[in-house]
Amino acid sequence: MVGIAPICLAALASAQASGVSPHPGEAGGAGLAIRCAKALVCPLDPSQVQVMDNVRILIRDGLIEAIGPARDITVPRGFDSIDVGQGWVMPGMIDLHSHIGGGGINDGVYQTNPGLSVRPTVVPGNARLRLALSAGVSTILFIPGSATNMGGIGLLLRTAPERYEEMVLLDPGSLKIAQADNPKRWGYGMARIMLNWQIRDTVRRGLAYARRWQAFEEREGPRPERMVHLDIFRALLAGTPISVHTQVHQVVLSTLRILVEEAGLNTFIDHGTFDGYLAAAKAEELGVPAILGPRSVSWKNRGRGIDHDGRFMGVAAEYQRRGHSMIGFNTDAPVVPQEELVVQAAMGARYGFDDSEAGTVRGVTIIPAKVVGIAESRGSIEVGKEADLVVVDGHPADPRNAVRLVFVGGRRVVDAEEERLW
Amino acid sequence: MVARALGTGLAIAGLWACAAPAPGLSPVPLAAEGELRALGPDEEGTIWSCARILTVDGSDRIFDPGMIAVQGGRIAYVGPPLAVPAGYEVRSMGNTWAVPGMVDLHSHIQAGGWGDINDMVRPVNPELSTRPTIRPSNPAIKVACAGGVTTLFGIPGSGTSIGGFGVVYKTKTDAGYEETVVRDPGGMKVAQNFNPQRGPEELGGSWAGLGWILRDINKKAVAAARDGRDDPALANLVRVHTGELPVLIHCASAEGVANTVRMWKVEFGTECVVSHGSWDGYKAARFAAENGVPVNHGPRTMNFRSMERPERFVGTAAEYEAAGVPDFSLNTDAGIIPQEELFLQASMSARFGADAYRMLRAVTAHPADSFRLGNRLGSLEAGKDADIVFYSGDPLDPRSRVELVLIEGEVQYSPDLDGQWF
Repeated sequence: MVGIAPICLAALASAQASGVSPHPGEAGGAGLAIRCAKALVCPLDPSQVQVMDNVRILIRDGLIEAIGPARDITVPRGFDSIDVGQGWVMPGMIDLHSHIGGGGINDGVYQTNPGLSVRPTVVPGNARLRLALSAGVSTILFIPGSATNMGGIGLLLRTAPERYEEMVLLDPGSLKIAQADNPKRWGYGMARIMLNWQIRDTVRRGLAYARRWQAFEEREGPRPERMVHLDIFRALLAGTPISVHTQVHQVVLSTLRILVEEAGLNTFIDHGTFDGYLAAAKAEELGVPAILGPRSVSWKNRGRGIDHDGRFMGVAAEYQRRGHSMIGFNTDAPVVPQEELVVQAAMGARYGFDDSEAGTVRGVTIIPAKVVGIAESRGSIEVGKEADLVVVDGHPADPRNAVRLVFVGGRRVVDAEEERLW
Repeated sequence: MVARALGTGLAIAGLWACAAPAPGLSPVPLAAEGELRALGPDEEGTIWSCARILTVDGSDRIFDPGMIAVQGGRIAYVGPPLAVPAGYEVRSMGNTWAVPGMVDLHSHIQAGGWGDINDMVRPVNPELSTRPTIRPSNPAIKVACAGGVTTLFGIPGSGTSIGGFGVVYKTKTDAGYEETVVRDPGGMKVAQNFNPQRGPEELGGSWAGLGWILRDINKKAVAAARDGRDDPALANLVRVHTGELPVLIHCASAEGVANTVRMWKVEFGTECVVSHGSWDGYKAARFAAENGVPVNHGPRTMNFRSMERPERFVGTAAEYEAAGVPDFSLNTDAGIIPQEELFLQASMSARFGADAYRMLRAVTAHPADSFRLGNRLGSLEAGKDADIVFYSGDPLDPRSRVELVLIEGEVQYSPDLDGQWF
């Protein structure tokens, strides 16, 4: 149990009660200092120190101003101070495969729907978002479902704010493509071959459209006719990632071939399960990250046993064993509850994923931040970044350690002492 | 200690004289604690050493490091390392922790899937048994073993008010029914409310009807016992009413748990165990405790956004523990939660506020004791079955891995030999 100096709680409570002045830590408020037993700092470069002992973190205007050994960092005058005792601090967690932003994530009339967006379905502050936040998940990529080959545009959302405009970090956050399986339809008569043709055909049209706009902007061509449903490809050309529901060896290979090698688009493997890990070395070679889950194992009687003759394979462990360096974890929430994101990483470790360099924590923080293009501002505890922080009783990948406090933009938004949601 | 364990064992063995004998287990001449005799020329035994032993015995002894001698399928010695007498094979398990094999009283994986657990023509089926459906060493059982679960009560489903009788068996990975059975019938399965509810036009459409159906059949069994009437359909139910066999009762919610205690303990005086007890069932925990009724909790171990006003989050395992129910245990209801994740039920209950060590008891000693299997199972003590699991670290931390599973002294699972199964 993490103890908090009661005087600080009182100060925070009175600030909240007044309801007008900014809270300590957030923009415009007093500074905030947090001392903890360990900080999982998670810089992107894995050769840098990932875990620090007896740490103080200074927060001002919602950003991290300093982090280092508590003995070296004095609390500036005017700062509120919190000591979480034996508690650990980690960056706010990020899930790149989530459907809990609202409802109505599948429009199944057409086979490819690059023009659709989950935007009109977002329900700010919904109960699942609150639960996610209470578990330290501060950012989600809210994406369409996999009922069609291209479900549409996903949004990168903060889970804490109750106003839509404050929730949205990136719009578009990604284009959702479902490479095989779920989008199959019409019973007999449609196989993966046609699904892949649909994807290739739409990507080809979309990119041609986006390039016409590029030419126009570079004064090398006429103004193209606006085709709203293909506008997303202009963003893709500029680097917005494609999140690809893909799994099984040959399907992951198709993903790499069609979207990365042929189209040259920023793509990440989403799911990547069953024996998808057999394509891990190629994915690494092409710089394609893998956000794995919700299934964590491949096994003859649970998976498809295509390569492994009944042996049990931990999916993350197998990507790692093949030299893949950008491994993250997802929940596909609500397939696995959003609040159990860190348990997904922990189970990855149980199934053989090497956690000695804090890989479980990196896989739900800095790795997804990098993949979706927000590593400059989130995903690690480094000076200048957003103060999205989670206080846990101990190592977060041991589920016996509960989340005690969550800070978003420096503001304390969850306190399990006051209200425990998970 | 040894004398006490042996004494209890004999007493209970007498009580359960009619239950199936322990196949393959011959009486072992037990050494007094602290000494270990040399083996004769015809005797075989193995000594297992490791970094830590959590005995989960009545005194909660922990040995750092420790040594376990196994002979004839049973534990001959557990304690600090001693000089090894002649005749023993010595096996070092290095830095691992040894814990008792886990026991789950609510499991449906005996047939290898969801099939064959519900016969739903009649609302009560005390004449039925899961015996003909058991597929020993089926793939789900093998993975359970790899997850450190060594004993299961394989029971019917909750499709009717009395599903029938279950079998207590070991999760040996390559054995037949005769080698795996611990007790058959192991006990009865009742579903007190919710699932067995029948159509509105039938008796049993409401909980009142369900209650009547159960009371009626119980009265018939009591009368049959009193009159010495030989009714094959009621024979096993009569054994429940004579206290010869325990009964596990699917119930949930406060009124469901209270009805179970009232009918099965207060009115009929059976050896009943509440199973599930979910949602606000913990509100009847004190009533269960006062009447000495054990609770086998799960798979849901928290209550959230319930009928509570104001809404609050409740870790329900902690509530049952606080109420002092005897032999509190946890279940998976496998395959609702995969059988191999029984440990995670304990970890998550700790996350939700229960004491972590008590939750280890809840998957080892307590389920064994509450089903009167404590003479053989549930802790590492001289005289008990050598069902031992070696973990790479703390058994409730998912990052720890199962390194070896012994059942009755025989290696059933070793990732080194078989590859990792879980």
